[in-house]
Amino acid sequence: MNEANRKPAWGGKLEQRKFGRKAGVLLTAGISAALLFLSLPFFDWIHLRNISALFGKLGISRETASTLYQSYSVFSLLSFVRNSGIGALGLYSMILLLLLAGVWYLHIVYIWRALRNRFQDSDGKGELRLYVFGKAAMLLTILLIIGSYGFVLYANRFFGMTGFGASPLLAVEFVGALAAYLVIKKLEAAERIRCHEHGLVKEFRKNWVLFLMLLPVGVFFLVNSYLPMVGIYFAFVNFNFTDGLWASPFVGLKNFEFLFQSQMGRLIRNTVLYNVVFILLGNVLQIFFAVLVSQMTLKWFKKVGQTLIFMPYFVSFVLLKVIVYSLLEYQCGAINNMIRSGGGTPIDFYNTPVYWPFLITLFHMWKSVGYGMVVYLATIMGIDGELYEAAKVDGANIFQRIRYIMLPQLKPTFVILLIYSLGGIMRGNFELFYQTVGNNGLLYEVTDILDTYVYRITIGQPLSIGLGSAAGLFQSIFGFVVVLITNWAIRRKEAEYALF
Amino acid sequence: MRRRAQEGVIMNNRQKKNKIKLSDSDITFYVIAYFFVGTAAVICVLPFLLIVSGSFTDNGVVMREGYSLLPKVFSLDAYATIFRNPASILQAYKMTIYYTVMGTATGLFVTTLTAYVLSRKEFKYRNVVSFLLYFTTIFGGGMIPWYLLYANVLHLKGTTFVIWFPGITGTFLIILMRTFISGSVPDAITESAKIDGAGQFTVFWRIVLPVLKPGLATVGLFLALGYWNDWYRSSLFSTSSSTYELQFYLSNMLNSTTALKDLAIGTTATIADLPTQSVKMAMAVVVTGPVLLFYPFVQKYFVSGITIGAVKG
Repeated sequence: MNEANRKPAWGGKLEQRKFGRKAGVLLTAGISAALLFLSLPFFDWIHLRNISALFGKLGISRETASTLYQSYSVFSLLSFVRNSGIGALGLYSMILLLLLAGVWYLHIVYIWRALRNRFQDSDGKGELRLYVFGKAAMLLTILLIIGSYGFVLYANRFFGMTGFGASPLLAVEFVGALAAYLVIKKLEAAERIRCHEHGLVKEFRKNWVLFLMLLPVGVFFLVNSYLPMVGIYFAFVNFNFTDGLWASPFVGLKNFEFLFQSQMGRLIRNTVLYNVVFILLGNVLQIFFAVLVSQMTLKWFKKVGQTLIFMPYFVSFVLLKVIVYSLLEYQCGAINNMIRSGGGTPIDFYNTPVYWPFLITLFHMWKSVGYGMVVYLATIMGIDGELYEAAKVDGANIFQRIRYIMLPQLKPTFVILLIYSLGGIMRGNFELFYQTVGNNGLLYEVTDILDTYVYRITIGQPLSIGLGSAAGLFQSIFGFVVVLITNWAIRRKEAEYALF
Repeated sequence: MRRRAQEGVIMNNRQKKNKIKLSDSDITFYVIAYFFVGTAAVICVLPFLLIVSGSFTDNGVVMREGYSLLPKVFSLDAYATIFRNPASILQAYKMTIYYTVMGTATGLFVTTLTAYVLSRKEFKYRNVVSFLLYFTTIFGGGMIPWYLLYANVLHLKGTTFVIWFPGITGTFLIILMRTFISGSVPDAITESAKIDGAGQFTVFWRIVLPVLKPGLATVGLFLALGYWNDWYRSSLFSTSSSTYELQFYLSNMLNSTTALKDLAIGTTATIADLPTQSVKMAMAVVVTGPVLLFYPFVQKYFVSGITIGAVKG
């Protein structure tokens, strides 16, 4: 009854509001497009005024100055920074560039979503997400503009002269972004009331205890993970002790160029190949043993077997080093001992690279199969026992029960483990390689991975901070892209397995 | 009555017989299963025997005839050498216990608290937070900025804090715990507690925490194990041997003869007299011993405590 009464009034209002919404979204999307267009010549936002005086102050020769002046283009800011060799300015412009990338991304997403929006009254959540993107795009644009003004002020103070000036475009962008932000905010507020949702402030007031509970972990991840990300900047400098970390010359992509010319091919090949083998062989063995152990009927055998297979996981990689040494050593290693007593010629493992891919795989399996086996066992124990019984009654033998009942149920666990490990495909198991091989240069061809390389050059050559950071950044970006692609592919095929 | 009982026994026997009766495929499976699991178990345990046996073997025999699974000439020299001058290894032991206790206690608290929040349905931003945590596992500044932050910006190099702090929690542990909480604490219970007037922290402390034993045991063990087996943070941040972790102490001993020399201080022995090979093995046994002693008692918690979940929840 209530329902029937409410409908007409509601419907009429809806029509009106729908129009307002549509106009608002299209208007802001238009502004968004304009802002995007205006930010394309981003490098003209900051002018170089009085260039010859500026260059004179920097001690840059007339020829360089004239080439720079002639090629004054989109990349002039970066090339200026690169030639001026001043790290702090380099860092600042890097941050601005990252912000710019974010701004472009968010504007494109917002426009795309706004155009696809059909303004129908569905559950409404989709529309809230649209506004979140819009608000984020506008806020980030405003931040970028403030940052650009800041750059001008900072650079002028840095050189003690008015060598830099802000383009009037900045003011236009600022006004546009602010206006669009306010409009979206208004739309969002109306939408929130309609879907009984509320924003961060109200959520915080309601659940402040929960937010407080997140404080310790927030501090931890901020210090341990997010603050070090600022150091990505080191990948773009040529570090030297006189200038220090933040003032060493900015060299653009030089570090990456050097890495790719020298070792990167070998490092990437080793890292990826080992990881692929570890992931595939590892999962196969883990599932294999989990299935076998779960079906065993002798209680004591099952228990002892599981305990022993899991045991290597608990010892440190330093102990693994001791074990490897006592097995493979030329003079007194156990394997050479056996070969000698069998009348063969002993093998000089530590000088023969051919064996190591197999050896390292073996050691890794030795140490990790038990853990994965327990993960899969936990999943198997969660399977409803009646399924087996029913299959048994229907005459399925044990292999069929495993094939058609158990293995399909392990798929979610497998997929989740797979995505987790794919994110680290460029990250090797540092401890495994470092402890088993150590600094044995003879074996690097087949055992050197990105992580050991970074560790070695950091410890051994403090001046190569730039190279090490570049290698680290490469690992991060590659892993991130791989995860995004995998997750996207999985979400398309089987949404419930997707990681996020 | 009696007859009934007898019948019952016969029935039981029959049922048992039915259960025991194996088909051909069952037999094939069990042969495969016992063979492979048995072999794998032996492969997993043999290296340990090698080490233990090496530590009890006379050093000269090891040098001449190599390592073997059973000591050819039994000797306690290696252990005697270590404990003749035990100050440094005892210091490493003490420090490692300190790191493990501090880190595991803090870590359990932080991890469980976070996992609890992420398991609350009423917490709107749980997926956002989960993603922010997960993001750190795929994207990071790398080792160099991480090191520089602790050493040059926070000036923590050489302290004990920097050895245990970076290991207190991790995305994986938090997600493990969150999955465990979602699985073992039904929403209805926490809801009704809240209706009765309990605050979030009361719900967490009085209702959720008590049922989390297997989860706490698992996460606690992962944390403790991480601390006991760590050598990396000492290698980066320790400035004096008084803050060394046990594993780093062992790793140093393996890498250099100078560390071995310390053992000879205060004795008339020279470096040449030291039973170098067997001392390394004995040291490995002393360092790993506690883990292997505790291991059989704690490993059962893992099977009930490990449940892998997706990032979003």
